[in-house]
Amino acid sequence: MTETFHPLVKRLLDGELSLSDLPPELRGEGAEALRLLGAVDRAPVALSAEFETRVMAEVRRRARSPIRRIWHGLVEPRDIELRLRVRPWVVWGAALAAAAAVALLLTRPPQASEGARPVRVAAGDSVYVRFVLYAPTAQRVAVAGTFNQWDQHASPLARVGAGGVWAITLALPQGHHQYAFVVDGAQWVPDPAAPGVDDGFGRRNSMVAVTARGARIL
Amino acid sequence: MKQVVVTLALMALVALPLAAQAPDVAARLTGRVPPEVVSAVAGIAASAAGRGLPVEPLVQKAIEGGAKGKPADRVIAAVRALADQLAAAADALRSGGGRTDADVVEGGAYALGAGLGVKQVQELARASHPPYDAALTLRVAATLAALGVPPKNTVDLIEGVMSAGRSPGDVLDLPGEVQAGVAHGATPAQAAQGLGRAAANAPPGRPPGGVPPGQQKPPNPHKP
Repeated sequence: MTETFHPLVKRLLDGELSLSDLPPELRGEGAEALRLLGAVDRAPVALSAEFETRVMAEVRRRARSPIRRIWHGLVEPRDIELRLRVRPWVVWGAALAAAAAVALLLTRPPQASEGARPVRVAAGDSVYVRFVLYAPTAQRVAVAGTFNQWDQHASPLARVGAGGVWAITLALPQGHHQYAFVVDGAQWVPDPAAPGVDDGFGRRNSMVAVTARGARIL
Repeated sequence: MKQVVVTLALMALVALPLAAQAPDVAARLTGRVPPEVVSAVAGIAASAAGRGLPVEPLVQKAIEGGAKGKPADRVIAAVRALADQLAAAADALRSGGGRTDADVVEGGAYALGAGLGVKQVQELARASHPPYDAALTLRVAATLAALGVPPKNTVDLIEGVMSAGRSPGDVLDLPGEVQAGVAHGATPAQAAQGLGRAAANAPPGRPPGGVPPGQQKPPNPHKP
């Protein structure tokens, strides 16, 4: 059986050509195609009146549903024509405002990054101070200092993400506090971001000054 | 007879607070440091209190030594050294006519320990009029000296910033500014001198390391 008919044979099937219009070498193929087409039952299909009634009732029911109408109104694409009639000074004003906003964004002071020490005044005389240490190989990190009686179990830092950064935020009373990080319960590490002072034991302590206006490392 | 009674009363006035303080110190240290450290530090603290010196830094130093696992003799030596620094600072501040409250004395002790001289501590304390806090000024000086800024440059820089009318926060920023300068290749002394010149030349209200409006301040590589 021929899988695809010659284009002229297809035109024959479409009624555009007659069998005699085909070249002699295609007439056999054309006759075969007509024979196959003639075997197909092309009698009109008659549906029962009851079936048609049921289909139309369903169509009308769906068309009446307000939720469906709203949904279609929301999701179906439609053409919208928008016409604006503005004066030139409005355009220039908007452009200048946008430029000013961009300039403000570019020139404002940089915000505190993850590792900085954002502070705000807490209740009473305390100020929240954020301690951050980068220790990618550490299993646990704590901060110990004069504010927690140098207790390395009192203020454990938590991992921040998976990059080796550890952090904790503590409410410290106003004043001056010395501190150091304790890595894995044994290694006392001064804050790399702070110069620190001699601890009297051959190492250094870091120092943070906490005032009503915030906290600064010294 | 009357003089004896007055003398005994004065002695009691001095002894009572000391007697009250000694058990408190011992109680705070017990379990945190070896027993010999408890008794030694209690004695040092009582002596310090008798001279009007702050006791809390001594207790904290002992607790710190215990927490860091230092041997008893080293802890006692560190506490004793701190007591000596506190006494020296108190003497310096008193003779200089400045405040001698605990916070200022402690700041003076750190400044002396970092290498500043008695006269320099007195000078900084005297120059720290409100809104500047002498305790804070002396701690900043101690930190600058610890960074390697020579004592004279330290005093010049802090006094210059204060006389230029900068905020107390700007004084607190000086160690970080010096660190940033060192990170860019300057010596601590050069960084301090540069900041001092900037403070003298900049208009009031701008920090010595400030940048013109509209420009970004370079990040301090030592601040995470």
